[in-house]
Amino acid sequence: MTAGARQPMRPRLLPTVGAVIAALVLVVAGLAVAAYNENTFKAQASREAQVQADIVAASVTAALAFDDESAAQEYLDALRANPQVEAAGLYNSAGRLLAGYRREARQALPTRVVNPFSAQSDGHIMVAAPVVQGATRLGSVYIRTDAEPPARRAFRYVAIGLLGVMASLVVVILAGANSVQRQANRALGEANEMLRLQIEQRERAEEALRQSQKMEAMGQLTGGVAHDFNNLLMVASSGLELLDRTQDPRRRETLRQAVRQALDRGADLTRQLLAFSRRSPLKSSVVDLGAQLDGMRVLLDRSLREDIVVRFDIEPGLWPVEVDPVQLEVALLNIAVNARDAMPNGGLITIRARNRPDRAVEGLDGDFVELTVTDTGRGMSAETIHRVFEPFFTTKAVGKGTGLGLSQVYGFTRASGGDARIRSEPGRGAAISLFFPRSTRPLDAPAADAGPPPEVRTPANVTVLLVEDDDAVAHAVGAMLSELGYRYDRAPNATAALERLESGQHVDLVFSDMVMPGAIDGVTLARVIRDRWPDLPVVLTSGFSEAADAAARDGWRLLAKPYRMETLAAELAAARADGPAPRDAAAKS
Amino acid sequence: MRRLALTLALAATVASAPRGAWAAAALEMAVKAAYLYRFAAFVQWPPGAFNGPGTPAQICIAGDDPFGNVLDQAVKGKKIANHPISIVRLDRVDKAPPCQILFVAPSPRRRVAETLDKVRGSPILTVTDSGADPADRGVIDFVLQDNRVRFRIDGRAAVEGGLAISSKLRRLAIGSGGPP
Repeated sequence: MTAGARQPMRPRLLPTVGAVIAALVLVVAGLAVAAYNENTFKAQASREAQVQADIVAASVTAALAFDDESAAQEYLDALRANPQVEAAGLYNSAGRLLAGYRREARQALPTRVVNPFSAQSDGHIMVAAPVVQGATRLGSVYIRTDAEPPARRAFRYVAIGLLGVMASLVVVILAGANSVQRQANRALGEANEMLRLQIEQRERAEEALRQSQKMEAMGQLTGGVAHDFNNLLMVASSGLELLDRTQDPRRRETLRQAVRQALDRGADLTRQLLAFSRRSPLKSSVVDLGAQLDGMRVLLDRSLREDIVVRFDIEPGLWPVEVDPVQLEVALLNIAVNARDAMPNGGLITIRARNRPDRAVEGLDGDFVELTVTDTGRGMSAETIHRVFEPFFTTKAVGKGTGLGLSQVYGFTRASGGDARIRSEPGRGAAISLFFPRSTRPLDAPAADAGPPPEVRTPANVTVLLVEDDDAVAHAVGAMLSELGYRYDRAPNATAALERLESGQHVDLVFSDMVMPGAIDGVTLARVIRDRWPDLPVVLTSGFSEAADAAARDGWRLLAKPYRMETLAAELAAARADGPAPRDAAAKS
Repeated sequence: MRRLALTLALAATVASAPRGAWAAAALEMAVKAAYLYRFAAFVQWPPGAFNGPGTPAQICIAGDDPFGNVLDQAVKGKKIANHPISIVRLDRVDKAPPCQILFVAPSPRRRVAETLDKVRGSPILTVTDSGADPADRGVIDFVLQDNRVRFRIDGRAAVEGGLAISSKLRRLAIGSGGPP
């Protein structure tokens, strides 16, 4: 037993001590009562002996007065009826024994009794009473009694012994109960400890399982992405080599576009990967669901097998909805992958989008856009349907699924103000419907890179301080800046950049990476510049989505890697036109 | 006094011991003298039997005094019902004398019976010694039995004289059946 477990035994000691004290008090009280009884009894016995002597004295007056021995003897012998009387004697006025009675031969009588007395010794009571007739003193009666008959004494001892036994019994019972309780507590403590250990083990096992599932998912994802990336890199690499070998402008243009396309797809892939691997807050925008779905055809084709046909059934004129396009893609991909896995021998996936006016969805009445993905797979049981949106719930074999896919779908649609529903029967396929509320806001402008490239103006005598630790990136970005007509000066880290600024070098704009080695990162650098050179505009850039999100939340002007030259030009131009970052950027951070 | 008591006690316990006739007779009279006084403790006289408080109780002896000095010694300093005792010796009894106890000494020619007749009905405890004829016996009559001085009691005579005799004494008397 540990010291901690022994601690609670201390208060339990009190009742035991109390019980022992109570038992002792009981015994003492018993003894006191016994002693009191003893005294009372002795006094009573003494009185009885006195009375007995008085009675005899009153009876034998005549016999004593007229020396009638036989009469006196008869009176004394009558005492035989009282077993307590051991001996009795009748003495004349001269103190001489006239007649005597002895219960047992060995009992002795005093040879001479003159004066009345009363005495006790060794459990015997001796009484001498005067024999008086009228005013005449005739002699004395002596009586000796046994103060306490053996039976009565035995009874008294038994009673006291019984008291002692009861007291010790009380102590024993209490001690026993105490011990039993202690044992029970110990058993309880052990059981509790065991339970705690089991819970810990289970938690560890679950954690390990979650971790392995995450690693599994990451592995699958990474594998798929790496495959795609390798393809893209193949296209880019071969395209660049071919560019060097041909001078035909049309062929070069084709190659350039192929490389461009491959790089764009790579950027899309990393974005999806990041979106999938973390729970980023929704970045909702009002989109045309039909257009979004259209853009996913290629993605879906890549994710599914050749024996699976995807059919799109998009109603024209869909209402705009407010969703995070990236999350929507991930959700659709999750559903499609589930459908694919439910159709091991191939089948049909139908993606249908319809306007649903005046529907009641999860307490919301109004217009919704319904997106339904139907497969022809093996379907689900009612129980599976009931649990399918739970995180980590999966029907797939260990290592094949994370159980996170449909939970993402559910979380996404709920966060978008809609709902997700499943209809399915075993062997009859499954249909997952996502309801998105109709948005009353106008469609957001398409992404900048989707629109026509902005006019590339050539700034005059504008010096950009480029803060970038990666030489290759610095070289590429430097080339782009030069191409755009900027003059640029590169600093390898934030400290070097500050030194340049402090030396009074002329800088019109600072373009800084966010995550850099050294004591100061990009955001800190931006704050220092905001404080010391408030008129100097700063543009931050990063490939880390979380860092980029943080900077964007704080209101800094931000360019996410990878970016195209047009985007860079537009951002820098905007920064110069707008001036420094808004005031509240510093306050917020 | 103490010596006398010792003597009486000796007389009671060793009466049967062979002694000289004179000695035995003397002892017998000493015992009877002591008893004569002791009877008083067991007897209650009717009111008016005594002349008044402080007046002596009289033990009278009619006839030849057989006690002599012994009786005077025996009652010396004693009291009867808080009255001091005086010994009165009567030569002849014509009418009831002012006595509480009257010992009628044995005498020939029916003198005892005559004396008893004269005091009959009076509150006087009459004591006789070995009356052979019932007419010669007073309320209490000494009897020598087994060499011991015993007595018999005439309850009717006591009632006639208005005397109450303690049952304790009655029980000790010969013919009463003894103590219960």
